[in-house]
Amino acid sequence: MQTKFQWSRKPQLAFGSAVLALLVVGAVSYCSMVESSESDLRVRRTYEVLEKLQGLLAAMQAVESNARGYLLAGDESFLEAYRAGRATTEKDQAIVRSLTADSPGQQQRLDALATLAARQFQLAEKVVGLRRTNGLQATSAAIQEASSTQNMDDFQSMVGRMQNEELRWLALRKEEAKRRLTQTKTVLILGTFLGLLITTVAGWRVQRDNSENRDSGAKYRGLLEAAPDAMVVVDQGGKIVLLNVQAEKQFGYGRDELLGLKVKNIIPDGFAERLIADGTRTAAEALAQQIGTGIELIARRKNGSEFPIEIMLSPLESAEGTLVTAAIRDISVRRAAEKHLGQMEGRYRGLLEAAPDAMVVVNQSGEIVLLNVQAEKQFGYSRDELLGQKVKNIIPEGFAERLIADALRSVEDALAQQIGTGIELVGQRKNGSEFPIEIMLSPLESAEGILVTAAVRDITTRKKAEADLLNKVEELNRSNEELGQFAYIASHDLQEPLRMVASYTQLLSRRYKGKLDSDADKFIAFAVDGASRMQRLIQDLLAYSRVGTKGTDLIEISSEAALEQALLNLRGAILEKGALVTHDSLPPVLADEMQLIQLFQNLVGNAIKYQSSAIPKVHISAAKNGVKKWTFSVKDNGLGIDSQYFEKIFGMFQRLHKRQEFAGTGIGLAICKKIVERHGGRISVKSQPGHGSTFCFALAESERE
Amino acid sequence: MPIEVLLVEDSPGDVRLTQEAFRNANRTIHLHVASDGVEAMAFLRREGVHSQAPRPELILLDLNLPKMDGREVLALIKKDPSLKTIPTVILTTSEAEADIVKSYQLQANCYLSKPVQLDAFENLVKSINDFWLTKVKFPQQRQNG
Repeated sequence: MQTKFQWSRKPQLAFGSAVLALLVVGAVSYCSMVESSESDLRVRRTYEVLEKLQGLLAAMQAVESNARGYLLAGDESFLEAYRAGRATTEKDQAIVRSLTADSPGQQQRLDALATLAARQFQLAEKVVGLRRTNGLQATSAAIQEASSTQNMDDFQSMVGRMQNEELRWLALRKEEAKRRLTQTKTVLILGTFLGLLITTVAGWRVQRDNSENRDSGAKYRGLLEAAPDAMVVVDQGGKIVLLNVQAEKQFGYGRDELLGLKVKNIIPDGFAERLIADGTRTAAEALAQQIGTGIELIARRKNGSEFPIEIMLSPLESAEGTLVTAAIRDISVRRAAEKHLGQMEGRYRGLLEAAPDAMVVVNQSGEIVLLNVQAEKQFGYSRDELLGQKVKNIIPEGFAERLIADALRSVEDALAQQIGTGIELVGQRKNGSEFPIEIMLSPLESAEGILVTAAVRDITTRKKAEADLLNKVEELNRSNEELGQFAYIASHDLQEPLRMVASYTQLLSRRYKGKLDSDADKFIAFAVDGASRMQRLIQDLLAYSRVGTKGTDLIEISSEAALEQALLNLRGAILEKGALVTHDSLPPVLADEMQLIQLFQNLVGNAIKYQSSAIPKVHISAAKNGVKKWTFSVKDNGLGIDSQYFEKIFGMFQRLHKRQEFAGTGIGLAICKKIVERHGGRISVKSQPGHGSTFCFALAESERE
Repeated sequence: MPIEVLLVEDSPGDVRLTQEAFRNANRTIHLHVASDGVEAMAFLRREGVHSQAPRPELILLDLNLPKMDGREVLALIKKDPSLKTIPTVILTTSEAEADIVKSYQLQANCYLSKPVQLDAFENLVKSINDFWLTKVKFPQQRQNG
């Protein structure tokens, strides 16, 4: 600001300096001239003195020669000339005296000169007197005396000295004059030059300032127009002197209507008062207090409607003094948003309180800033005890680390990684006891930065249930395994004695049939039958248990090959019944080969077996089901199954027909079911009595695809 | 000429069954029975009471025997230079893979599982007769020093 002021005075300063320089030059010249003229005068006088001194000397010499002449010739004309000469010398002396009145040295010399002259005259008078009276011979001695040139020499030398003095003085004066001339010349030149320089510089500066002002003026206007906010420039009287098109739009006025208008008309309160100098402070001070702060006020449009604004002020230098530029921003949207935010916050708080889970809001330093009553209950603290506490106090590990920004990632990143996943941690109550919790995080934007809302759920019961479940499952697995083993061992060990019974009853039957009585035959027959059935049951049981115990890992195999093998195993039955078995191309699947063969064998075997008299037709196909599954279908034209038995037929040893009608223990489908379930699928049947059946099961697609 | 066959089997029921089955298959078969491994070795080595025992053309060996079990007997037979040339067929109720592997490792000539059904068993014996005792060729020299 200081510089600005200086710059505005510069032209004045410059001109002042120029004028001063000129004045100085003038003065100096004037003094110099005066001195010169004085000096000239003095020089002239000196020349006069010199002249006079020379004259004096000449006169004196003339006087002397005239005296001598008279002495020699006795001619009166010489005497007159002598007398006239003497008067002249005296007169000259007087002139010189007056001319050199200022020089005591000269005066002294003059005195000496006068004395010498007087003596000369004395001598001359004496001699003249003598001549007159005594004639020539008498005066020859006196003439000798008079002819002594000593006095004259002295006189001459004195004159010489005086002349020298004057000459010296003259030389001095000449020196002085020369110096003064040089001085004057220098001063004149310098002064003129300086004056010219200052004037030029000042003029140039002024011009530049003017053009700058013009430029910056233009730039400023450009900026103003382009500004996104309404811009208004106000002078010290509170009048609008400059505005932009945004201002026109915002306030609903035309440019000309606003120019010259008091700013109070568009900003009724708060603007003018802040800026106009009052008795207590200057405009500059008032302005300085307001610069940079956004002030919220109310503005009024042309149509009288009011709207909230925020103004930012900055000073603007101009030729007319300090102006104030105000950027005016319509903050009605912002206000609405703020209000809305306030409402939302209120609602959020309400939601938080009402939430069934404990809710805790944590800031970026890991402190609890908000919580609900559930949180109080769960952790055994009161609200005030928890607010401001570090969340580490209630969730010792796993929470703070996940959320607080560290050098590796910002809070946003940290949070983004955790959103939506339920994290299992351990919570700690006030009494120190711990309990398992699950937290779900979500971010919350706030004025203080990103906060984290955590829903904290006590999962003690869930954990217990999970643990119980795991236990049960383990128990179940163990139990199943035992059962499986048991079934296997039992079946296997039962086989031996059963084999004896069955074999020998058969031998009995063979050897003694008809040799004992008919009862014996019947009894033996029943025994044989019983034993056989038991054998078959045990074999089936073994087969069933083997599905689990002897199962191998599922690998990729060709289901078509498995079917071919099953058909090979069934070729006897197929030939016997004249059955027609067809199939589509079947895909590779993930399966246990032996079991898949067994599965096909059972299903196709059933399809052929459970027929009336028609030629059995069986068709096997496979269809893609979803992403990674194949659904196989074994369709037959057999007897069909009533829907009420759809579940039952898959049970163990469940039969729908008498033994006389169809052989079999009823284990076939149970084995199929077990096999399919072992492969992770389900087996089902669609059927109608008299219209055949379709058995479906799904197997996983081979992974290679 | 009777065909001499040694059956090593501890279960009398099974013994009788096997006998009946062989009788049906081939009346010329002379079935000797040893009920445990020790007796089996004594018979084969013609020791003690078995000093006059004939050299069997075929040995049918059960695996699960008391005192010395079938696996041991098999091992001994196949180590003995004078006995190892006799075809030794394992005839057992076990279908366990481990048993099958072990038997072949010990150089059993083949492994047969006894079927549970009577007719199937009789068929199996018939097959043994057909194969081992009819089709298969044995060296002429029956006795060796």
